[in-house]
Amino acid sequence: MTTRISSNLLRLTAIVVLFLASCQKDFLDRKPLGQLTYDTFFENEEQAVLSVNAVYNQFRDWDCISFPYIGNTDIISDDSDKGSTPTDALYMLEIDDFTFDPTNATFSGVWRGYYRAIARANLAIARIPDVDMDVAKRNRLIAECRFLRGYSYLLLVQWFGELPIITEPLGGDSYYTQERRPEAEVYALIESDMLFALQNLPEKSAYPSGDLGRATKGAARGMLAKLSMLRKDWAKAEQYCQEIINSGEYSLLPKYGDNFLPVGENGAESIFEIQAAALPPNNGVVGPGATPFNMVQGVRGIPNLGWGFNRPSDNLVSAYENGDTRREATVLYVGEVLPDGSAVVKDNPEIVGERFNQKAWVPAHTGLQDNGPGNIRVMRYADILLLCAEAQMEQNKITEARTLLNQVRKRARGTNNFILPDVTVTDQAQLRERIYRERRVELAMEQHRWFDLKRWGRQQQVMQAVGKNFVAGKHEYLPVPQTEVDLTGDKIRQNPGY
Amino acid sequence: MKQLKQILTIALLLLAWGLHAQHSVKGTVTDKADGTPIIGATVRELNGNAGAITDVDGKFELKVSSPEAVLSVTYTGYSPSEVPIEGRSELSITIGFSDNVLEQVVVVGYGTQKKTDLTGAVGSVKSKDLERIPTASVDQALQGKMAGVYVTPTSGEPGVGAVIRIRGTGTLNNSNPIYVVDGMITYDASFVNPQDVQSIEVLKDASAAAIYGSRGSNGVIIITTKNGKKRKDAVITLGTYYGTQSITKKLDLLNATEFGTLYNELINQQYYPDPSALGEGTDWQDEIFRTAPIGNVQLGINGGSDRYSYNVSANYFNQSGILKNSEFERVTLRLNNEFKVNNWLTLGNNLAYANVQRQYAPGVIGGAYRMPPVFAPRDSTGDFTDPTSPFGLAIGNPAAELYYRQNNFARSDRFFGTVYGNIQLAKGLTFRSNFGFDIENGRGRSFTPKFEVSASQLNKDDQLNVSIGEKRDWIWEQTLNYNKEWGKHSVTVLAGYTAEERRYEYLNAGRRNFPGTSDVVLYLNAGNDTTQTNSGGAQEEALISYLFRLNYTFNDRYLLTFSMRTDQSSRFTAGNRTGVFPSVGLGWNIGQEDFIENLNIFDNLKLRASYGVLGNQSSAGLYPSYGSITTALYAVFGSGEDLNQGGTLITLGNPDLRWETARQTDAGVEFGLLGSRLTGEIDWYNRFTYDIIAAVPIPAYVGSSGDPVVNTAKVRNRGWDIMLNWRNNGDNFIWNIGGNISPVKNEIVELNGQKAEIFAAFLQGEAATRSAPGLPIGAFYGYVTDGVFNTAEEAASSPRLGNESAGDLKLKDLNGDGVITADGDRTYLGSPIPTLTYGFNAGMEWKGFDLNADLFGVSGNKVYNAKQTFRFSVYNWEQSFYDNRWTPQNPDAATPRITNGGHNYRVTDRFLEDGSFIRLRSLVLGYSLPQSLIQRLKITKFRVYAGGTNIWTSQKYSGYSPEFSNSGNAYEVGLDNLGYPVAKTWQVGFDVTF
Repeated sequence: MTTRISSNLLRLTAIVVLFLASCQKDFLDRKPLGQLTYDTFFENEEQAVLSVNAVYNQFRDWDCISFPYIGNTDIISDDSDKGSTPTDALYMLEIDDFTFDPTNATFSGVWRGYYRAIARANLAIARIPDVDMDVAKRNRLIAECRFLRGYSYLLLVQWFGELPIITEPLGGDSYYTQERRPEAEVYALIESDMLFALQNLPEKSAYPSGDLGRATKGAARGMLAKLSMLRKDWAKAEQYCQEIINSGEYSLLPKYGDNFLPVGENGAESIFEIQAAALPPNNGVVGPGATPFNMVQGVRGIPNLGWGFNRPSDNLVSAYENGDTRREATVLYVGEVLPDGSAVVKDNPEIVGERFNQKAWVPAHTGLQDNGPGNIRVMRYADILLLCAEAQMEQNKITEARTLLNQVRKRARGTNNFILPDVTVTDQAQLRERIYRERRVELAMEQHRWFDLKRWGRQQQVMQAVGKNFVAGKHEYLPVPQTEVDLTGDKIRQNPGY
Repeated sequence: MKQLKQILTIALLLLAWGLHAQHSVKGTVTDKADGTPIIGATVRELNGNAGAITDVDGKFELKVSSPEAVLSVTYTGYSPSEVPIEGRSELSITIGFSDNVLEQVVVVGYGTQKKTDLTGAVGSVKSKDLERIPTASVDQALQGKMAGVYVTPTSGEPGVGAVIRIRGTGTLNNSNPIYVVDGMITYDASFVNPQDVQSIEVLKDASAAAIYGSRGSNGVIIITTKNGKKRKDAVITLGTYYGTQSITKKLDLLNATEFGTLYNELINQQYYPDPSALGEGTDWQDEIFRTAPIGNVQLGINGGSDRYSYNVSANYFNQSGILKNSEFERVTLRLNNEFKVNNWLTLGNNLAYANVQRQYAPGVIGGAYRMPPVFAPRDSTGDFTDPTSPFGLAIGNPAAELYYRQNNFARSDRFFGTVYGNIQLAKGLTFRSNFGFDIENGRGRSFTPKFEVSASQLNKDDQLNVSIGEKRDWIWEQTLNYNKEWGKHSVTVLAGYTAEERRYEYLNAGRRNFPGTSDVVLYLNAGNDTTQTNSGGAQEEALISYLFRLNYTFNDRYLLTFSMRTDQSSRFTAGNRTGVFPSVGLGWNIGQEDFIENLNIFDNLKLRASYGVLGNQSSAGLYPSYGSITTALYAVFGSGEDLNQGGTLITLGNPDLRWETARQTDAGVEFGLLGSRLTGEIDWYNRFTYDIIAAVPIPAYVGSSGDPVVNTAKVRNRGWDIMLNWRNNGDNFIWNIGGNISPVKNEIVELNGQKAEIFAAFLQGEAATRSAPGLPIGAFYGYVTDGVFNTAEEAASSPRLGNESAGDLKLKDLNGDGVITADGDRTYLGSPIPTLTYGFNAGMEWKGFDLNADLFGVSGNKVYNAKQTFRFSVYNWEQSFYDNRWTPQNPDAATPRITNGGHNYRVTDRFLEDGSFIRLRSLVLGYSLPQSLIQRLKITKFRVYAGGTNIWTSQKYSGYSPEFSNSGNAYEVGLDNLGYPVAKTWQVGFDVTF
């Protein structure tokens, strides 16, 4: 019996020892399955491109282009009201009425949304230089990221003022230690990013057709022009605008309204757009190329196109000169036929003073409303012409400024010579008012107004005039999201007044 | 068999040689419970040398020194019995299951031990306690049964398990204990049919749990299923019960008239010119909840011989949910065998199969709570009402949601079991190889038809989604067990090696636009193939462990346990992979010392103490060290609007992650008094968890899409486990009453790193909890209210946060700086963790009747009524708000004026409520028919019973139940966001044993 046991034991021991020896090392090495991991990422050109595309992807995120974005650009300004039914999404009404505090979800929304874009860009900027690939393309990819990072900071600095400046992926020991830096430092970062972009990006026409929509030299110049305007460096602003004008890459579309229809997407007038498309939904009901931008502003009622936020204000409607057809291209009224003729907007009894942002309108498409296909127009040639005119006007180059201003008015006038006559004023102050007004109506509901008012120092005057509870010395800047103050134990300081 | 007889014969011969005045006695030993013979019981002459072991028929025969001798009969797990022979030559002896904890054998990790030899804190529940009170799952059966074991049914959804916390909340993240079912480690024991369970042991302290090393720090629940008894006659049991369940409490929401009145007040217009014309309207709770049946049938057969034993059982359990369109159906089969192949080899298996089918209801509980009562579920034409206007509702019609989204089913087949072999290598030395497996194949299937109720509640294309998941887990354990006794010394040594692998893979697919909606058509192929989608993935982990345990006992009085486990886990990078978890326990059966014995007070008295280190790897996630690249970050480019794949690291990983570790100290005393009628166990413990792995909130400027996991904190749980039981064994009237009480203090000792506090549970952007040193995990944090501003003047002259006016909440200016600020005036508001949990159990038997009751309660915790704080559009209100709100006519109100969201809904103590409650967990009255009646029917036992679960609750909280579901996130446990409420159940049933 003993021998039998011994031989059994020997056999068993052998099996166990073999088992131990054979699999112990590999047995415990387990990596995530069906996934790339960071330790083996940024190893080739394809992955470098993936990482850059992922930065663009963030700009279609809810935080970056829906409630938080339109809330803190259009709705907060005198151009529009909250919209929708009176009690829907009251935190949006708080922005409209200046009754918000630092916990309002739209502030954390834009802050989080654009800092995530910055983080994605930072990672690509830090790692792509080590990827073995064509040098020109590598520089282009980095330049795209620096453009998108600079653009994110440009938005954030206009909203919040001083910012934590983050230019590389943060390690665990620096999560909570960032402090806000002066606006001038943020400007300097934006400038260096945009200059790098300008140097390394191709012109719009130089991209293969499959890459249409990526950042371009023209877009970088435009951002530099905007930054120069913020710095009141009129000469530089004019110079960048002139470079765009002289590049031959852009022109005004003959019909103003075409800019906001599918036909105008990436058209001759387009300098930079957030690209979107209604693709067949692949996960749930939203396609992989969609934005909620069109849905949140779409007609609420019949035809049912969306939620009806961002209602063009009475003040905006009355800001147009008589007969200015841009109003009809900007505001969608009850009784109006949709741009594609598919339906007539019916009265919705639940909405007071019902009207919608026609520039966010999109025709019928695959999927539901949330599968919004419309590109978000960030920068148009007309914007640059008016910036150029403004920069010239500030330098007292009245004639040049008037010429550009009238170029914009001429396009708006179309063939109807009874409207929008050429501006002929010669006084700088008068011309300033004409340019400001032109800028408002030309770019209405395109998320520029609040920043323009801020740049002009007119927030208090304009907002109080329309009866808003604007407090000078406080509301010029949005409050920093309370969670940032809480999480950093006040290292991130709140803006004055909040 | 032959050898056994030889041994017996030799033993008897030896006895015969040595003894002179002899009396021959023979007899049978049978089980008190069912009259079946007991094989292997030891029969000895008290104070004599004679002894025998009962054979397959329970028979024994021996020669004793005198006709007046007394026989002692012992059998593992049974009460010992002493029987005077009184001159008889043939005896019939019955013995029963032990009620005395001292004689109990308890299952510990990788073995069993006598309760008296334990140095660790182990709670135990035997099948007898489980059988009396029917429960659907093992975890529910544990509620209120043991000190230090806090069970919260997280949801009333059928088939959803409870959250169990053993000795407090050990970590900031995953504090769930592990389950060991017949030796196989699992995180989900929902497949175990409670009627199959022989015993449940909870390893609470380090001495007991360290043998489970990296998974022991949150406690270990060992479930042992029933095996057959080694006896000839098969025992057949049949049991069934049926019951109905309903919601424990309905909330008092406004009717349509009251709602209309408030709406007019809210918008300051007469939108409803005459609110009373609206009448009662709809109570949406009635539209979604129902009285639902629950039923169970159990059939079991067990038996065996001296060479093998078997237990076969089949069970069918069916529970409809109290929320419409939720169902749970479970079929379980079990086959437990043990074969004694020869005198050195034993083979055995514990195999279970469970088939679970369930229907999931859509999430409509929040909708029903919020939906204004002015809408009927359906309009006059029978269509579902569009409830979006005029309130701009962000929620859909709950009745329509229930109707259109009811076709959502899941099914799973789970095979779970162990197969083992024991080889006796030498006397006292046994080798055991145990292979455990857990294979589960799950399928999900949901179909949503095309429908449109409103612009925001619609499904444009009908859609079928199917999913397949496959789980393959196995553990292979090799252990050596050595047992030696010499003189007064007794040593048991366990050494082992285990390897395990866990793997899961899934596949999802879907299509839209089906040519019909009948079940025959609803397969993917029938859908439009241009709409097809799919996804899939897999995950796996592996663990290799070495274990060692030494038990040493001297003179049955002095006990020492040393145990150690070394785990190597695939969850960590190679450098941080190995964890060593040792523990030591000491015990002293002081009751056996003369100086205690002479007191004549204690029947037993034991002191014990232990210290050890335990780990927790489950907070880490499977791949915490790797940053995963998310690859669905598409961008659109090109004139053709082409989709371009994008991918990057969006959530930060942490390659430096280490084991989360807990040091646990325990000191306990066990005692029995008054003839062991009064028994008790008191433990003090200090459980200190450090290097806690948790995702910590980081500022948004870091740009991470998820919070990174780090070794960040230290948490202490310090408390007492106190259990007392009184048992009175009369002839006719047997009763017992027991109680357990567990005070525990949970405290964060340190948050390492840059951050001394963690804010979480953000409600509309504002943190509702703040975890910081000195506070419990997830402590509530916010403003303190000081009533309501009676007038606008009062508001204007008081510190304010914004533009509060008459009727708005007045906040306390805690730092006295004259203004209310987020930094200066928010404070600790209370703890979500009970400081005390307790249970009472009582049972009695009298002339065939039995009555059992379990009470369970907690106190010292707060609940944040988060469901009331969401007001994205005009939702219904609760009656208490309507009755108490501020109005110009009621300026002294305690509750603010009507507003929809905003200031009055910020995180303040307004929504903080007392979470204390006491609940009658169960009450069951049974009656067993007298033997005289049933013996003629060849029935051993017939019991009928009726009772209920959760039938009475005394709660202070205004919500459905003070026990509610939560995200499982330790920072958010006390927030009630409206989950599936627990039900109360009434049931009747019977059990028959043949």
